[in-house]
Amino acid sequence: MQVTRRQFFKICAAGLGSSSLVMMGFSPTEALAEVRQYKLSRTTETRNTCPYCSVGCGILMYGLGDKAKNVQAEIIHIEGDPDHPVNRGTLCPKGAGLLDFVHSPNRLRYPEYRAAGSNEWKRISWDEAFTRIARLVKDDRDKNFIAKNADGATVNRWLSTGFLAASASSNESGYLTHKVVRSLGILGFDNQARV
Amino acid sequence: MTASIIQPGEIQPAGVEAPFIRLPEQAIFSRRSERFKFLAQGHAMADYLKFMAHIAAAQQQALAAMPQPSLPDAGQLSLCRQHGMPPLTAQSWPRERDWQVALRQIVGEVQPDARQATRSAIERLASADSNWLEAQAGHLLASRYDQLDLAAAPFIGAALQVYWVAMATALGLSAFGRTDNPTLCPVCASAPVASVVRIGGEEQGLRYLHCSLCEAEWHMVRVKCSSCESTKGIAYFAVEGSSGAVKAETCDECHSYLKVMYMERDHLVDPVADDLATLALDILLDEKGYMRSGPNLLLIPSADSPT
Repeated sequence: MQVTRRQFFKICAAGLGSSSLVMMGFSPTEALAEVRQYKLSRTTETRNTCPYCSVGCGILMYGLGDKAKNVQAEIIHIEGDPDHPVNRGTLCPKGAGLLDFVHSPNRLRYPEYRAAGSNEWKRISWDEAFTRIARLVKDDRDKNFIAKNADGATVNRWLSTGFLAASASSNESGYLTHKVVRSLGILGFDNQARV
Repeated sequence: MTASIIQPGEIQPAGVEAPFIRLPEQAIFSRRSERFKFLAQGHAMADYLKFMAHIAAAQQQALAAMPQPSLPDAGQLSLCRQHGMPPLTAQSWPRERDWQVALRQIVGEVQPDARQATRSAIERLASADSNWLEAQAGHLLASRYDQLDLAAAPFIGAALQVYWVAMATALGLSAFGRTDNPTLCPVCASAPVASVVRIGGEEQGLRYLHCSLCEAEWHMVRVKCSSCESTKGIAYFAVEGSSGAVKAETCDECHSYLKVMYMERDHLVDPVADDLATLALDILLDEKGYMRSGPNLLLIPSADSPT
């Protein structure tokens, strides 16, 4: 009885010459010559969660590329994950269109800003974006934060700002989002981009 | 116009669980024989594959002629279930001599089509005593390839497959369940020859590992190494320009691979036949430094025992 790790087998060009195939009177020569013309292509299958809604369907993303540094890996196909208990391989029309979503030329690639009243988007740096968001958040909270209600009870709520997070978040990012948002006092908080 | 009213039960309810184990169908070997013949067309090793078709056809006849084998009793089965053990463990099951009857029938059937070297092997098998055959079977099932008569070993493998298929199908699905090691067959504890991503019904898109000995299939989630169960560093290699029906699932954690066959690309794939028809893939993966994690009992790669 084998109690060690699984045995591995070696099928190679040199080994075939002494394999049962040759011992039975067959020749691998022609097949081996043919192998010389072949090349391998490498693909990957990667599990992920559909980003659209909080049903959280499992997806399989098929990628092409051989990990070489100068080769851009590319997603070539996306389908429902048959092993996922929620959707068992199925996807809704939005999920079924995920590949176009991934390759869409309209995807946001950097922060942009459209001033009130303007119809023009202007590219800004991440630094500018973060600073601006932090400034606006702080100003609004300072102005509208309610520490005590009319009866004098401590409530620490901030009702003038809401927060929409991603529906495909993991437990960990859900925990962090909750901590950040609730410690600020925000009550309007949702993880579901409504179906 | 008459309106048809859907009766209760006409629509299959959602949420039917796919089976964990699939036992081989009765015609498994004749289907395999047809597949070998199909794959032989225009193949560089057509003669070899055609001869394998003869062996598979002979396996089917031997299976039909196989008497009811002795089976583990209810007590043994429940003990196995209790401890998560396969009931027909290849290396410890006390084999009946019925498999040797199947062996003689198989070699008798294929002899007219055999090459000279194969005929000599068949003669050695015919004149061998029962103990030598038992020893060879033991070596084959334990992958001690340096102890094998290589030209004779594929016939021994073929006969053992018939015997184990007969036992597994006689016991039926209810005798088997999940075992402690999900990388080995839950019926006979053998390593898989390949895996199949199936089509149709609740099995659509699910991957089943196909046993190298008893032809049972068991479910394992996709994108997971079928040898070390890693889900990291899994990739799929195919011969460029092929249909993509047969790929090699490689694992960078244990540096092994096993072929995976996609019924969606070719619904007639057979784990044993398509494996032998795609040895080019094995050779190219060997050159990439991957070792194969499951045997094919019809091809003993070389006299060196696996490492």
